[in-house]
Amino acid sequence: MAICLGIESTAHTFSCSLVDEHNILSDVRSIYKPPEGSGIHPREASRHHAEESANVLREALATAKISIKDVDIIAYSAGPGLGPCLRVGAVIARCLASYHAKPLVPVNHAVGHIELGIRLTHARDPLVLLVSGGHCMILLFSRKRWRVIGETLDITPGQLLDQFGRELGFASPCGARIEELASKSSRYIRLPYTVKGNDVSYSGLLTAAKKALNSNKVEDVCYSLQETAFAMLAEATERALAFSRKDELLVVGGVAANRRLAEMLATICDRQGARLHVVPMRYAGDCGAQIASTGLEAYKAGIMVEPIKAFVRQSWRIDATDVPWREKSIEISS
Amino acid sequence: MLIKRGAEADIYLIEWYGRQAISKVRKRKQYMHEMLDREIRMKRTLHEAEMINMAKRAGVTTPLLYFVDPINAEIVMQYIKGELARDLISQGFGWIAEMMGIYTARLHARDIVHGDLTTSNFIVYDDGIDTPRLVLIDFGLSFYSSRLEDKAVDVRLIKEVMSSAHADVFDDAFKKFTQGYSSILGDDYARKVLKKVKEIEQRGRYARVV
Repeated sequence: MAICLGIESTAHTFSCSLVDEHNILSDVRSIYKPPEGSGIHPREASRHHAEESANVLREALATAKISIKDVDIIAYSAGPGLGPCLRVGAVIARCLASYHAKPLVPVNHAVGHIELGIRLTHARDPLVLLVSGGHCMILLFSRKRWRVIGETLDITPGQLLDQFGRELGFASPCGARIEELASKSSRYIRLPYTVKGNDVSYSGLLTAAKKALNSNKVEDVCYSLQETAFAMLAEATERALAFSRKDELLVVGGVAANRRLAEMLATICDRQGARLHVVPMRYAGDCGAQIASTGLEAYKAGIMVEPIKAFVRQSWRIDATDVPWREKSIEISS
Repeated sequence: MLIKRGAEADIYLIEWYGRQAISKVRKRKQYMHEMLDREIRMKRTLHEAEMINMAKRAGVTTPLLYFVDPINAEIVMQYIKGELARDLISQGFGWIAEMMGIYTARLHARDIVHGDLTTSNFIVYDDGIDTPRLVLIDFGLSFYSSRLEDKAVDVRLIKEVMSSAHADVFDDAFKKFTQGYSSILGDDYARKVLKKVKEIEQRGRYARVV
């Protein structure tokens, strides 16, 4: 049975994971933590990844109880992400692939989130909400690609929470701490609510929430920010769900770990008669398993790159990525 | 009788003084804070009623309004029997895409932005006697604006929907839409709008190579 090593290094997480057809054999991560009050510094994050990489890889192999020689495929996250971070993962993947003469597979990080989500939840043909630090997209599969039916017009909920959290002196990612503060309040302050069809826009909300801190309790602003941001996302998702008439919704990405969002999505699924799949919390954030799972499928579909030509792309939209192994392509029709 | 549970409202087929009618009720959204929810529902109900009438003046066919109740967020309007453009567009109904472009341009010429231009908000009305007509519905997110940006966001949404849900006919359908749009507002203006659409897409996540 083919074993794939996946190397993830798009942003703050460096992770190696080994998977085969049926199981995740290991998934080891080391996460770069910026100082309080700051976000990810790409250079510092890449330094962290370079320093940690050998340990993470060694531990991933040890946990799976295999040697690098038993690995059949090497997959790496080729984008989108932070350039310096991506290059660390790519360099390691190239070295391993050429030294051990293994096939090398580039993986789109966003496709990885969805593939792992489908693998773990057994969703069949879902509408997908991908929501993380880097992404905020509503997608459906059609004609060999994940197509975007709704997305943010500016920043993502992850960025919204992180940039707001930094204002409070937290270090990214700030979602969990904001959620904790929000749970202590139920006083709603009116903040800008911007849904444009299936799309959302968060930049105005961020500015207003920062301003609201001058004259309101922190807990109240956190609560109102979360309520507004997630309600927007829930509405846009419900619109896409009603439009596409899919009977499953799959939520993937780091922000899928937020309980309040999951609660809201449960009510829209209930209303629309759809089944809600949320990726297990442990695999919501960035991890090697998403790269390894996708790498395995991609390799079987014939996707490979010579180490000398292995690339990274900081900007690489999911709707510009072919997914030839996914056969199910249910068109919207009556 | 409930005929559709939309994202925003429940749609009932009712009898209204002896004729069939649609009752559109914006139900309380359980996931939303009550204050925000009440404000949004009332605002959208009033907007929708106002804009449905304004659209008629712009030359866009919309349902007749019978009754509006902003407190309960209910609108009673004409029942349009027909199929959604969403379900017909993939079968090569070129005139629908072009007519969608014409309607959009007529609204934009009067500074009306629809705000939710998806293929499920266009109904193709066909009584089997006259030539089929297109009817535009769901003005809950509509607003007045003369800004190019807002009109481009409108066009971008229909482009996004066509390129995802109707990927197999996207090129042709969007071209027809653009032709219809240009035929009302002129090639120059249409070009300006499409350029702005590109600009908005470029602003999107991971769209630009850095």
